Amino acid sequence: MKKLLVLLVLTLAAASLAQKSGGVLRAGMQTDPVGLDPHTTNATASRNVLENIYDTLVMLDSKGRIVPGLAQSWTVSPDGLTWTFRLRPGVTFHNGDPLKASDVAFSINRIKDPATKSPRANDFAVVRSVTAPNDSTVVITLSQPFTPLLAKLAFSTNVVVSEKVTREHNNDLNKAVIGTGPFRFVEYIPQTRLVVRKWDKYWQKDNQGRPLPYLDGITYTYYPDPAARSTALRAGAVDWIEYVTAADVRPLKADRNLVVVGGPSANFRALYFNTTREPYNNPKVRQAIAYAIDKKAIVDLALFGTGGIVARGTTIPSGAYAYTNSPYNTRDVARAKQLLAEAGFPNGFTMNLYVTSTYDFLRTPADVIRDNLAEVGIRVNIQAEDWNVYLPKALRSEFDVTLLGTSGQADPDDYLFNTFHPSSALNLSKYKNDRVTQLLEQGRRTASQSERQRIYTQVQEIVLQDSPMAFLFHSAQYEAMNRRVQGFLHFPNTSYLAFRYTWLQ
Amino acid sequence: MFGYVANRLLAAIPTLLGVALITFLLMRAVPGDVVTSLVGLEANTTPERLAELRRLFGLDLPLHVQFGQWLGAVVQGDFGSSLRTGREVAQDLALRFPVTLQLTVMGLFTALLIAVPLGVLAALRRGGLVDYFASLFAILGLSVPGFFLALLLILLFALALGWLPPAGFVPLAEDPAQNFRHMILPALSLGLILAGAVTRILRSSMLEVLSRDYIRTARAKGLSERVVVFRHALRNALIPVVTVIGIQFGSLLGGAVIIEQVFSLPGVGRFALEGINLRDYPVVQGTVLFVATAAVLVNLLVDLLYSLIDPRIRYE
Repeated sequence: MKKLLVLLVLTLAAASLAQKSGGVLRAGMQTDPVGLDPHTTNATASRNVLENIYDTLVMLDSKGRIVPGLAQSWTVSPDGLTWTFRLRPGVTFHNGDPLKASDVAFSINRIKDPATKSPRANDFAVVRSVTAPNDSTVVITLSQPFTPLLAKLAFSTNVVVSEKVTREHNNDLNKAVIGTGPFRFVEYIPQTRLVVRKWDKYWQKDNQGRPLPYLDGITYTYYPDPAARSTALRAGAVDWIEYVTAADVRPLKADRNLVVVGGPSANFRALYFNTTREPYNNPKVRQAIAYAIDKKAIVDLALFGTGGIVARGTTIPSGAYAYTNSPYNTRDVARAKQLLAEAGFPNGFTMNLYVTSTYDFLRTPADVIRDNLAEVGIRVNIQAEDWNVYLPKALRSEFDVTLLGTSGQADPDDYLFNTFHPSSALNLSKYKNDRVTQLLEQGRRTASQSERQRIYTQVQEIVLQDSPMAFLFHSAQYEAMNRRVQGFLHFPNTSYLAFRYTWLQ
Repeated sequence: MFGYVANRLLAAIPTLLGVALITFLLMRAVPGDVVTSLVGLEANTTPERLAELRRLFGLDLPLHVQFGQWLGAVVQGDFGSSLRTGREVAQDLALRFPVTLQLTVMGLFTALLIAVPLGVLAALRRGGLVDYFASLFAILGLSVPGFFLALLLILLFALALGWLPPAGFVPLAEDPAQNFRHMILPALSLGLILAGAVTRILRSSMLEVLSRDYIRTARAKGLSERVVVFRHALRNALIPVVTVIGIQFGSLLGGAVIIEQVFSLPGVGRFALEGINLRDYPVVQGTVLFVATAAVLVNLLVDLLYSLIDPRIRYE
């Protein structure tokens, strides 16, 4: 018995040592990165590759919690205006240069600089200065307290680049991809492949003290067509694929050689009412529509039951700040009709619903909504346009009602301030409620989580009452892989940071 | 001959200028905005900031200034850089054109390999079994959509049999064997579709030639059927085929977009398509001008080829 136990322990130890190393993962991606300079692109396709080549000051884990990254620890002054970050020692760039605090200061200033044309410049709008008093300390000074700062620093393109490399390449980081991350860039051939190899001097260790990453490298190849992507996986041309469509989830799960992971992501999809236009300036009309929509039918019919989950609150999908008690969680056609009658539309009206035809999950729910609203006398007229035509108009709120949504990261501010504060460009419904505005600003200044929770609950209660949007669902996202791929975890915020802990059997 | 070529090349200049101008204006006329597409929805960017970005990209300048600047640079060999990726358009075209050229050549070669024997046999055995089969094949080739045929081929050769990769690309210079394996299915898809039309044309042109007097004369003087068919009939029947192949060649250089998409090939077509989708002006303008130039040159080559096949055709 004892012998057997010893043997078992030895076998297990050997197995755990042997299994977690090596292998080049062949990843089947949807599209090419849109440029390789992390500070000039906001495209998910660039982010998902660059996030494993570069590092951020702080990071998000798979539960969406902030964890240390290049900064080992940080402190905030009592007035919330001065944030001091202590850098991890011994971090080196892929060219061998040590990471210095001045690189961090340079990076944040580069994102802020209008000449960089960074789409994330807004993240650091309240940053007054970033300085490096010594090689391992970074001090960020704010013009006003801003609790979401860590979430902004954790955003996967707000990475730290090398000041020296950037200057050597005339501020064009498309030509020099040199980070501190677990993988170093090797080559990129457009629409063919992008290759990264393990960085041997990477700082991060697993919880048993073994160096990360486990993989020897990743070869990304591109399959824009979803069917081509799943076929490539099934035929063994790749080990792992991203963006499994809702329709493909079931067939791939049925394949015994494959594993599908995923679920609801950090986003929301909603019906935006233009609250400055008739009759959507009347809260009763907006409430009536929210009551009349069958959210479950949208998920079951338009999203095949796998493409998302019903939104039970507002914009926040899950976590401590998520509100789940929306009055519209039970469909109430009688109440909807009554509200319409009170608003002066006993016989309904014609509603122009502007959608994009480019993404199915933003197009097909419109058909369910049209059927739902027909029952309360609202005749829905769907107008669909290509994303690149649709987006500029949607951003200028040139619609009566539209179907859209955005993603958040870790902080409730992403979901609430961006959507409901009058100063935000993403407040597409032109919603303005002074109490909400005031609470949102207070939330940014408040550090205590319980206090913020109270504030944001209140915001969401008022928003549901005012109903500037009808919250429909949170989209799901799936990745699929063959059984050799081990240790991969689905992150809800569209991130493949889990490649750091993945290995091939 | 030399004078003819020089004349044709000179005549191409206004054509290309026209192409450049029309592309430029069409891209501006299409609704949509490159800056909004670039920044995307998520960045929460104010209209003022968007306007500033537009200015930084030089998109606020009057159209004639933008066109002049672009054309001035092109004349000096500078096709500009993608607004989206920052990569030089010329550099990307240099990567993608060989892929498209290879696909085109392999596709047309496959088409000829199928269509020439089939067309000749169909004409010789008019009304026979081979002729019916050739007609059926031609109808299928003309009516089955390329993407559908491609998917069927993938299902058979990649998934069911596992002989060939389902999609993807390996550069020729890097690994010729792997490159060839990846190109077989795309070339076959393209070739089967094109073979339909070529079979029909060759069959009818063969029938016409075979009914000519000189064929009867050739037979009468006792030449073997092989010599009659191949030396006398086929050679003359090939003229319309060369025309069709030449036109196809020119248009395929613009990229067989659907085949490239289904097989994830990094060709010119997908490059242009991405550029169009995101209103990436330098990419679209550069690609269209490049492809137009290639098409003009191919047309010229085809015309010169006629005189090789039929010595009576001369260019002075």
